[in-house]
Amino acid sequence: MKEFAVFWGCTIQTRFPFIEKSTRTVLDAFKLPYRDIDGFTCCPEKSLVNNVDRGAFVVTAARNVSLVDELGYDLVSPCTGCVSNLATVRSELNANPGEKAHVNSFLKEIGREFTGEAGLRHLVPFFHDAVGISRIKQKIKKDFSGMRVAIHYGCHMIRPSHALKNDDPLNPKKFDNLIRALGAESLEFNTKLMCCGQGLDRIDRHENALHFARIKLKELKSMGADALILCCPSCFLQFDNNQFLMEKEGEKFGVPVIYFTELLGLALGYSPEELGMTSHRVDCGPFVKKWEAVTTALSRGVDMEEGLRAPVVIG
Amino acid sequence: MLEATLNFKLLEMCSKCGACFDICPSCMHIPGYDPREVIKDILNGRHERWLDSGHIWECLECHQCLEMCYQHYGFENAMTSMRMLASKKGIYPAQVKRGWEMFVKTSRLGEPALPARKKLGLPEPKASGVDEFRKLYELLKQSREGGGSPTEAD
Repeated sequence: MKEFAVFWGCTIQTRFPFIEKSTRTVLDAFKLPYRDIDGFTCCPEKSLVNNVDRGAFVVTAARNVSLVDELGYDLVSPCTGCVSNLATVRSELNANPGEKAHVNSFLKEIGREFTGEAGLRHLVPFFHDAVGISRIKQKIKKDFSGMRVAIHYGCHMIRPSHALKNDDPLNPKKFDNLIRALGAESLEFNTKLMCCGQGLDRIDRHENALHFARIKLKELKSMGADALILCCPSCFLQFDNNQFLMEKEGEKFGVPVIYFTELLGLALGYSPEELGMTSHRVDCGPFVKKWEAVTTALSRGVDMEEGLRAPVVIG
Repeated sequence: MLEATLNFKLLEMCSKCGACFDICPSCMHIPGYDPREVIKDILNGRHERWLDSGHIWECLECHQCLEMCYQHYGFENAMTSMRMLASKKGIYPAQVKRGWEMFVKTSRLGEPALPARKKLGLPEPKASGVDEFRKLYELLKQSREGGGSPTEAD
């Protein structure tokens, strides 16, 4: 496998270092050739930087990509927003030689060059395509049979598809495939592909952001989903932090929010503590407890064998 | 070259279609949010009235409209252009201003949480590219003042 740099992004390193912990844990478990490199900045965040200064958005993203271009690495990120922003700029520059040359005329002044050759991938499609379902299945110590979970893809894992090219943008499958490979049931539900709405918190619209979170959490609660599984720090912020805030005000949802690398880590045999899951604001305890109960119930299959050997069976 | 522009031909078609309205999460869940109205006003030369409206910031850039659009255009291009125009006039939500200022100053939207990293046993974070970023941003600003990029000056 080609070496790759991990692009952690601002939100994970600033607010959710435990996501970095579980990501490193699973990358190590599969002995994947990941590297930490100097020099990355914010991707940059599109809704913020692009709106204020498009030129700054484009040159900053191109500079980040140029770092992996030069090293001959690919780039993988556990943040959907980072990959989507970097890929958006890369696809625009690759499709537009004039603009690419223009951007490179700036990068040249700081000794960089954007070639746009490096692969840019989000962690979920990366695990699906590069690690592969069968290799993952071989490493599972304890699967999630009997657990019913809801997947939230996160808009920027799959869109814009012309830049990311990794799944069907309106009917994605890869995250589902991975979760099913871990033995869990991936629920189908109305709001599965609905945007989390966290962006509304970034424009001083907190009540609207809560409303968006509430819509999905209500549906999950009514379905009795055991957890919401996602792989984006913004979506995590929205469903973990904002759910916690709403619960503090008396609205009860009780939906644990679990990062993909945490769920994978649990299946590989790591404890919630080792994966940093105790740092979540909404308690993951009920999910882990139910998982233990379900696993114990399933392993009672031995009772049936004992029953068959009993004298009453032979008559 | 780096400035966004709107394609009025596509926008004209867009104003007659509006198919993405029913898949847009903000259209569904935020009362009063309707990019069709904004697009109509842009085409009629009355876009100014939207610049200080909070609605132009409620597009979540989820790209659902872009994927649905048979022109691969969608509402988002119009809304992004409106936000860019508003920003140029200094009209933006307080949090956008704070985030932008932090980005320009530090090249990031926050610094790694060091005590938590230590507790989790995570390695020292790698150095950011802040110095190069500042240089790059300075070059960009200079080229605007001078009216050209280093290439064009050659």
